[in-house]
Formats: sequence, C-alpha cells, structure tokens
Amino acid sequence: MKNVKNLFRHWEFFLVVFLILEFVVFGAANPKFLRPASIMTSLVNYISVCIIALFVTLVMITGGIDIQAASIIGLTSIVEGYLWSDLGVNIWVAVASALVVAVLCGALSGFFIAYCGVQPMVVTLGGSFLYSGLALLVSGLSATPAYQGISGFPSKDAVGAFHGFRFLGKGVILGVPTQIIVYLVLIALCAWLLHRSKYGEKLYLIGVNAQAAEYSGINTRAVIMSTYVLSAFSAAIAGTLLTANVDSAKYNLGAGYTLAIITAVVLGGTLNTGGKGSILGTVLASLIICILRYGLPLCFGVSTQNLDLPIGVILVLVVLGREIAGQRMISALFKRVKRK
Amino acid sequence: MKSILKARWISSFVFLLLLFLITGIVDPTFLTYSSIISCFNNATMYTLLAIGIAFVIMTGEIDVSIGSTLGLAAAMTGLIAKAGGGIPRMIVTVLLIGALIGFVNGLGVAWFGVPSLIFTLGTNGVVRGLIYIVSDGRTVENFTGGGLGSFSNQVLFAEITVYYAITLLVFIAAHLIVTRTKKGKYFIAVGDNPNGANLVGISVFRTKLVAYVLCGAFAGIAGFVFASKYGQVMISAGNGYEMTAIAACVLGGISLSGGLGNMVGAALGAVIMASISRLLVYIGLPSTYDNTITGVMLIVIVVIDALAQRRSIEMARRKRLLSRTARQTEEGASKA
Repeated sequence: MKNVKNLFRHWEFFLVVFLILEFVVFGAANPKFLRPASIMTSLVNYISVCIIALFVTLVMITGGIDIQAASIIGLTSIVEGYLWSDLGVNIWVAVASALVVAVLCGALSGFFIAYCGVQPMVVTLGGSFLYSGLALLVSGLSATPAYQGISGFPSKDAVGAFHGFRFLGKGVILGVPTQIIVYLVLIALCAWLLHRSKYGEKLYLIGVNAQAAEYSGINTRAVIMSTYVLSAFSAAIAGTLLTANVDSAKYNLGAGYTLAIITAVVLGGTLNTGGKGSILGTVLASLIICILRYGLPLCFGVSTQNLDLPIGVILVLVVLGREIAGQRMISALFKRVKRK
Repeated sequence: MKSILKARWISSFVFLLLLFLITGIVDPTFLTYSSIISCFNNATMYTLLAIGIAFVIMTGEIDVSIGSTLGLAAAMTGLIAKAGGGIPRMIVTVLLIGALIGFVNGLGVAWFGVPSLIFTLGTNGVVRGLIYIVSDGRTVENFTGGGLGSFSNQVLFAEITVYYAITLLVFIAAHLIVTRTKKGKYFIAVGDNPNGANLVGISVFRTKLVAYVLCGAFAGIAGFVFASKYGQVMISAGNGYEMTAIAACVLGGISLSGGLGNMVGAALGAVIMASISRLLVYIGLPSTYDNTITGVMLIVIVVIDALAQRRSIEMARRKRLLSRTARQTEEGASKA
C-alpha cells in the first residue's frame, strides 16, 4: 500500500498514465494510429525537440534556462552545408567542425552566465539573436541562396538506400530509424549523467542552493557553464540529424522550436527554479507531445497548423493541477503536524 | 539608489545616441529630422509591447504570451474591419481580448503560483490556437479599405504619426504612474522584495494581476497597430515579438529579476530594437546582419551591466568593512 502511495507522488507516474491514455484513445479512434512505422516516423519528425529537451533539463535543474538551443540547430546545419558544399571539406570534418562551433557558442553563453553572473534568460535571449544572425551570415557566404538551402548531401545510391551522412537522418537499423537509436543512446547518456554520476548530484545541489554547493567545494561556475555547453552540443546533434534527414542545410532550421523545448522540459516535471526534475519525465513529456501532434490530426482531423492550442491547454491544465495538488498536499501536511 | 536607476536608462539613451551618431558619420544623409523621427514612428508596436511587458518584468515575472496576444488582437481587428465595424469597436475588442488574456495569466501566476514562464508558455499556445480558430485557418486580409490603413500613416504634427503620438501619451502616463503614484510604485516594490511588500501591506497578488492585465491590454493595442500597419494578419503574426519586447526591456535597463528599471528604458530599448535594421541600411550592411548585431549588443550591454553592478557591490562592501575596522580601532584607542 505504501508503495502505491509513493507511486502517486511521482510525477512520472501521471505522465505514463497520460501516455497510455493517449494510445488507448487514439488507437480506438483510428486503428491506423497504432502502426509502429507511423509512430516512429512521428517521433523522427519531432526528434530535434526531444533531443535538446534532454539536455535543457540539465540546464534547468541548475536553475538556469536555455532559449538559444533552437538557433544553434540552424547554425550547425548551415555551417555543415557551407563547409561541405562551398569549401569542399569532407562531410565528416564538416560535421565535426559544426559540433565545435556549437560547443563554442554554448561555452560563450555559459561563460557569461556562470562567470559574469548575468541572468541565463537574458544571455541566452541574446544568444538566440546572435547565433541565428551568425547562421544567416554564414548562409550569405555560400553560393546557394539562403532561402533555397544547400542540398545533395552524400549519399543515396541507385536502389534508394542511404549511406554515409544521409544514413544519420534516413537510415534504418533493424527496423528502427537511426535517429531514434541516437535518441536512445542520448537518453541513456543523460540519465547516467544526471542520476548515476557525481556530476548529476552537483547539478541538483546547485539547483537547490548554489551558495551551499559552492561552500561544499563544488566548482559551481564550471558546472553551470558545462550545462550550457552540453545543451549546445545536443542542439548541434539535432541540427546534424535534421540536416541529414531533410537533405537541406538551412540557416533557419529549428526556428520556433524554443517554446516547444521548454514545454517538453517543464511538462516533464522539471522546475524552472531548479533542483527538481528527471530525464524520465522529460522523455515521457516529449513523447506525450509528439504522440499528441501525430494523433490529433490523424484521428480527430485537427489541422496540423493548429496543434498549439491542445498542447497549450494541456500544459496550462497540467501545471495548474500540479500546483493545486501540491498546495493541497502541503496543507494536509500542516494539518497532520498540528494534530500531533 | 536613485542615481543607479537614473544611470540604468541613461546608458541606453547614450547608446541610442551613439547608434544614431555612428550611422550619421557613415552616411550623413541619415542625420535629418525626418529619418530620425521615422525610427521612432516605426517603433510604435514594439514600444507598446515593451511598456506593457515592463509592468510584468518589474514585478519579477515574465510573459511570453504577448506575441500571440498581439496576433489574436490583430486578427480580430481585421475581422471586425471586414464586417464593417468601426475603429472604436476594434479598440474596445482588442483591449478586452488583451486584458482577458492578461487576467488569465495573472490568475495562473499570482493566484495559483505557477512559474510565470511555464504558465504564459501554455497560454501562448492556447492563444495562438485561438487565432487559428477565429481566422478559420486563413490569412486575414483585404480589410484596410475602411480608413484603417490610411489611418496608420496619418501624420499628426512635425512628422509624428498619430499612432506614435498616442503611444507617447500612453508612455508618459505609464511612466508617471510607475514613478509618481503610490500604487504605481507597488510594481517595483513587489519585484524587489515580494515578502517585504507583503509585510508592509501591499497585495502581491493584486499587483501582479494588474501588471498582467496591463501587459495584455498593451499587447492588444499593439495588435491593432499591427493590423492597420500591415493590412494582413497571418496565423503566425506576432510570433517571436515577445522576445523582441523582452530584449527591448533588457536594453532599457529593466532587470529580469524584477524591482529595477523604468518606462523610459523600455521605450528607448524598443526604439533601439526597431531601428537596428533601418540603421544597418544606412551604414551599408545588408539586413542579414540584423540579428547578429542585436545579439552582440544585447550580450555586451548586459554583461557590462552585470560586471558594473558586481563592482559597485564589491566597493560598497569594502567601504563598509573599512569604516567598521576604523571604528573598531577608534574604540580600541579610546579604551586604552
């Protein structure tokens, strides 16, 4: 009985119930919904948000926020495209350089946040302007017009199978798209970082009380900066996958993902004041949103343009419900203390 | 304390002057009355948004739903114009829409205690969806026949458009409210120290609620301006404007943690944000530099601000320490 009660206290439990409910309702409404291939495709379409949300969770657990990651998607994409198509660099070198660029971007913002003490929201807001601007400038260097996007990445053979770079975005291993495998690996990595390593403990401690963390000998500044580097790195991975998937390097890929990423993280139960959250929660929340985006148009004919409304409603209801339930729990606790 | 507040908006004023001067040096044709005034005229929408969100930011919260509030208000304006409604009806509608959205935001944030970023993210999605519903998924257009479009370019006096003149009046009113009236000072007080404000009898809930309602109403009016200026409202209208408005406030020296800043800063920041792309044209850079320069500017300003603040705190602490040790040695000397 006690275990059951504990289960109810976990936010992830509600997320699982919600996810199962989604499958039941959508599956009942339209049996086509349950085809694994379509579900995987829908996940692939949303993978950028899912991947970045994982690492933004780390940022938010320290009490920060990252609204620049979406602009780094476009920057990585165009850097890869420019290096490969205009400078003739080997595609893998181009990918590696783009990852380095992204890490530098994350390090720059992280430095200002951790070492200069500027508010994370402000710096990453500036970063989102700066990096999307840089992406546009890089795009201007290229011979391909900015609106067109650089395409023709290697390679697709005569049979239609994908090799090399495009395999990252379109390949299938044992029936599972490569992107999803990358996502699973990143989930494992993130879960290990946050829940099993010393690093994760430091993140939580900083989120709960940065001063206490500093006094207990943690180099809080370096740790905080590292979270922004990690989230920028994840954005670069997402950008690479996206480029390989759509075969187009464009400066504005991923524009408008910012709010979706934050939504996934907070729906997953991470507090934006820091100190609380889990990778499982973020993954479940990402899946919930993803399935919703896939199921609503398919089963209930909701226009794909109008998916903001249901997701917004759910976010509002969920956070309100959580807040009310939390308050009730606290007042119940007080009553119990009084009785004693 | 007062001098710090002053310095915060003065730095953005100096910055704006510098921007104009540099542009003027590169291209002297810029330094005419009409091209400078047109920078201000073009900033109408951002100024309204920035003033509105400044109320919320001063109380220490944030509102990322103003972009879609602007979009919804603009779409409603267009629909009313299409149905043959007059301008008063549009204005009342956009004010009501904005205030209602603000009220919901305020309830969620101040009453239920949901973190403001999360809650307004949710309402942002909901309102964006409402735009889709009211406009039936199509771009609202062809509605500027009834005087609405021509109204947007009407010059009142000295090349100042009617809209900017009204915005200026609203701005002055907002500034006076925040700096001169008792209730207006509550915004800063609540942002500076909510518990302290509560202890001296200021209702934190009511103050935040009012801030959100004002913010929504301002975004609504900005939506009206949007519709009349562009003459067509897409479903994505106003997307990303919330970030520009927040950036304007930050440039104007309003601290995102609340309790610092004033309306002059917000208005100046809005002018800076709105003019950058225009100034780039004069300097001879393509508009592709727009975001890069905005980003660099934003980061440089906030980093300098943070370092200066830290320095002043450090100096104050040293002074305190020095005076304390001085007193102790004095006491020691008198005892001996």
